[in-house]
Amino acid sequence: MTPSRHEDAALAGAIHYPITSTPAGPGCTHYTLRNAHDARVVISDRGATLVSWLAPDRYGRVADIMLGYPDAGGYERNPVFFGGLIGRWGNRIAGARFMLDGLDYRVDHNEGENHLHGGDTGFHLAMWQARVESGGLRLTHTSPEGDAGFPGTLQVAVFYSFDDNGCLSIDYTATSDAPTPINLTSHGYFNLNGGTGDIYDHILSIDADHYLAIDAQAIPTGIADVASSAFDFRQPAPIGPRLTWPDPQLALGNGFDHCFCLNPLRTGATSEHVLREAATVFDPGSGRRLTVATTEPGLQFYSGNYLAGIQGRGQTPYRKHDGFCLEAQAYPDQINGPHAEDVILRPGQIYRQTTTYTLGIQN
Amino acid sequence: MTKAPTAYRVALLFNANKIYDREIITGIGSYLSSTRASWDLFLEEDFRCRLNGIERWQGNGIIADFDDPDVRTALSHSRLPVVAVGGSYTDESDYPADVPYVATDNFKLVKLAFDHLIEAGLERFACFSLPEDPTNRWAQEREKAFELLMRKDGMPCEIFRGVRTSAPSWDTAVKQQIEWLQALPKPIGIVAVTDARARQLLQACLSAGITVPEQVALIGIDNDPLARTLTRIPLSSVAQGAQEMGRTAGHLLHQMLHGARLAGTRIIVPPAGINVQASSRHETPNHPYVMQALHFIRQYACQGIKTEQVADYVGVSRSSLETYFRRSRGHSVHNEILHFKLEAAKHILEHEEQSIADTAVRCGFTSVQYMHAVFKRELGCTPRGYQERTTAIAQP
Repeated sequence: MTPSRHEDAALAGAIHYPITSTPAGPGCTHYTLRNAHDARVVISDRGATLVSWLAPDRYGRVADIMLGYPDAGGYERNPVFFGGLIGRWGNRIAGARFMLDGLDYRVDHNEGENHLHGGDTGFHLAMWQARVESGGLRLTHTSPEGDAGFPGTLQVAVFYSFDDNGCLSIDYTATSDAPTPINLTSHGYFNLNGGTGDIYDHILSIDADHYLAIDAQAIPTGIADVASSAFDFRQPAPIGPRLTWPDPQLALGNGFDHCFCLNPLRTGATSEHVLREAATVFDPGSGRRLTVATTEPGLQFYSGNYLAGIQGRGQTPYRKHDGFCLEAQAYPDQINGPHAEDVILRPGQIYRQTTTYTLGIQN
Repeated sequence: MTKAPTAYRVALLFNANKIYDREIITGIGSYLSSTRASWDLFLEEDFRCRLNGIERWQGNGIIADFDDPDVRTALSHSRLPVVAVGGSYTDESDYPADVPYVATDNFKLVKLAFDHLIEAGLERFACFSLPEDPTNRWAQEREKAFELLMRKDGMPCEIFRGVRTSAPSWDTAVKQQIEWLQALPKPIGIVAVTDARARQLLQACLSAGITVPEQVALIGIDNDPLARTLTRIPLSSVAQGAQEMGRTAGHLLHQMLHGARLAGTRIIVPPAGINVQASSRHETPNHPYVMQALHFIRQYACQGIKTEQVADYVGVSRSSLETYFRRSRGHSVHNEILHFKLEAAKHILEHEEQSIADTAVRCGFTSVQYMHAVFKRELGCTPRGYQERTTAIAQP
């Protein structure tokens, strides 16, 4: 049977635009994924980092919706984790210590007494091995036994793909030869108006009835209702005005820096490892709309509270709240909580996570 | 904790005959249904606002529309907790004192409308407002926003207030609007301070035979479905964040009922979106990519740029840029660059005493031979021949 016209069209739609690579500094390469609409995502093998995402606005103007450093040098230290793939433990571990199978482990404490984002040798600083594959880019990294204080040698892989719907898919897998806590995330900073100005007018919605309240060190203290608080994003709400709501939790975080407990699927089916829509952000000015879906239970919403003075790609340094992050992950400090077992990877098991960011246009 | 929760008695003072006020009330309701708070809401059966006796009303709190001067006066010395809702002001002293205030951002509403018209390719702008009146200070605030935006861009500020429409003055109002419209240079983009105002102007355009959006591109504020259905050409509009304003006002009053002191709190809510319809879909002759490319070519053609660099600047692939170019210009990017260089070379040869070789270098030709070939092909003569011909004409 000869292919019908319809199948021809389907085949045409399946054409993969070649991934191009360009040298971007000493030993560092940038890989560009593109789609049929000429949107492009640039990924660096340093830290498996999301460097740029170029996409048109409502009027066809192309701009970079990600925040980042002016050159590859900035990513060697990356103090604010721009676009980095975060591991072995994303977010915080209180006191930088945890018990695992009866043993007391101490890991890097790089934020006061606490551990943050993989410590001094976080995955976002590592040189990953990149390989262009059919349909995407695979990056792999080996984190040795004792890396930042964590037990076990961890083999971690991430596969980035970018489709014609503007969907950037991030698939993580990892295995370990000894039990270890694991919590991977992607730390992209977005500004949907193209990296100029603040994110106050961005309109956010998050499918979460609860969030984790924090203490002054940003360590979770317990589950709180979003209802009747600035944290209720079940209906779309602009970020800027919410930052001005009188709320002690906002004062503690210097803005939003909180993990939202994503609602389970309403179907009643188990929501574990099921990809579900978690949040959307809409910028009325540009018409760009970002949708986040994930298999993870938590979504950290960070309103770029400590961006002031960081020199990005623009003329002037970033200011507070010039970008936002939506980091899909397990709960912060979960390794020290009642659900620690859910974040422990044991030999023979495979850690899996899929998180997607889809960028479109809304009128 | 067996005691039933106390039901607070809360009055909502709004004239909810417009989409904006109704959305605010919707937001308050949405906030309440999301909380365990129990409020008995007091609002008039016809959703209109009546103030007589409000000072003697036995309740716990009030959320009120402070755009209404009577409401503002009546509540200025309220002994009950009050949350005010209204428009933002440029002048700090225009805000009511000692009351938490939730505002729609008048500046951002107008800016979003204005930015949209710019992106639609318009270069001239006007604002259709309302006559000055204490009940619509927001209209004057929107004028101020428009004025500021025009001043920033060094453009003339064309604001028309017209008359308030009522049945007896209807015809006069339309006549004046048409006169104003006819006097405006075209094409022009017009921001109307409300959808209701935009709808009237749209009607005036149509009865005067002024094409929308070709000659007049029009955008209103409110995203009112009623105004949209009452026009022959669907109306573009900026949506206010009214529901979020309602939720915010509900939250502030909720806090005050629990003892929080919020007198100085002011929360300004930006627009919720923009509904682009036919009334502002001004067709510019060129696709935005093409306009960006032309902008770049105009600046750098004579430095010997190639198609690839233009595509990089625009941020699209070479092949798509070529497609856009063929569609809107009827030729390739390369041809566009070449023609620009040719025009530049012709200009130099006509007006300056330059050698052919220098002209070739200055206009970004890779060699004299190449410029020679281009001249032969496009003009049927050599650069030297062209120079001699024009100088011969210049010397009678």
